[in-house]
Amino acid sequence: MIFAAGGHSPIEQFALKKIIPLKLFGFDASITNSTLFMILTVGLICGFLYYAMRGAQRVPGRLQSVAEMLYDFVASTVRDNLDDGKDGRRFFPFVFALFAFVLVANMLGMIPGFFTITSHIIVTAALALLVIAVVIVYGFMRHGIGFLKLFVPSGVPAVLMPLLVPIEIISFISRPVSLSVRLFANMLAGHIALKIFAGFVATLLAAAGAWKVLSILPLGLTVALSALELLVAFLQAYVFAVLTCVYLSDAVHGAH
Amino acid sequence: MPADTPNDRKTGEISSSDREALKQRASEIGAKLDGAKKRHDVPSAAGRGAAMGRGMRIATELVAGVLVGCVLGWYLDQWLGTKPWLFILFFLLGTAAGMMNIIRQASQERTPPNLPSVKDDTED
Repeated sequence: MIFAAGGHSPIEQFALKKIIPLKLFGFDASITNSTLFMILTVGLICGFLYYAMRGAQRVPGRLQSVAEMLYDFVASTVRDNLDDGKDGRRFFPFVFALFAFVLVANMLGMIPGFFTITSHIIVTAALALLVIAVVIVYGFMRHGIGFLKLFVPSGVPAVLMPLLVPIEIISFISRPVSLSVRLFANMLAGHIALKIFAGFVATLLAAAGAWKVLSILPLGLTVALSALELLVAFLQAYVFAVLTCVYLSDAVHGAH
Repeated sequence: MPADTPNDRKTGEISSSDREALKQRASEIGAKLDGAKKRHDVPSAAGRGAAMGRGMRIATELVAGVLVGCVLGWYLDQWLGTKPWLFILFFLLGTAAGMMNIIRQASQERTPPNLPSVKDDTED
């Protein structure tokens, strides 16, 4: 599990393994390592928030201030990107849950040997589709059929409409695609790069004589890459939350 | 009280010239502080992180537009039997959509985010 010695494929870390085979209504609902880490992620978030806010004080202790920082950070993201009225704020729990889930999942993936659930496009696509589904449902609930004005840019001559409406529709469909692909691709590429450089260390150490000395180079790169990946893990969660807010603001405000 | 002020007055009183000097010193310190803050703020980690986030957004925005256009065109072609014309058309439309995504994002960032209003604080 821990950084495998040379000879292992760098994408082996993404393999799904069934832990408890399970069949529900004819579907394969086995508990895999992915499922396990999703449960771990959610459990960690809930457990931490509950434990940190257990005896909430007016002057926060260490854990409580971490929890409050997290809250403040997401709250200001929602305020800046969505709305500062009441309607935008009703989405705060949704954005907070998404941000916390992606952040903790990414960070758990940084621990060597741990599975990174966000490196699977099916997971990120499910999250992105959830966001877009909320946008569509809430948009129609709030603006009725007028929500479709989103696809009709204002102040454009009617002659250009047959061209611009398809472009707007493609632009809308591309949102869940870019949202999911960005998160998935960043995590996948980062972990593959880490694994490859770590693999070089093992290969060079296994080599004869003077080659062993060279293994310090990929080792240094692995350390540097780990730092970068930590930053990326946080940034991707942040970008996901910001874009969720931006897309939701279309549903709240209607046509731009 | 600073030690270097003359002591021939009652305590707690400052002559007008002293007051002027103090004011000037305060504003000088303020200006210095602003300058230092400005120098410090530009390469702050948070600013760099936000910039990196923006870069990542732009990079995928274009690709996603082209990709969606191509996939839509491909399946419409298969469905309507118009190979390859709709694919070509939707590839172009998808590229345009990707470009528009980028332009929209860039223009959105040029306008500063909403400043928190007073109303915001009194609401709950």
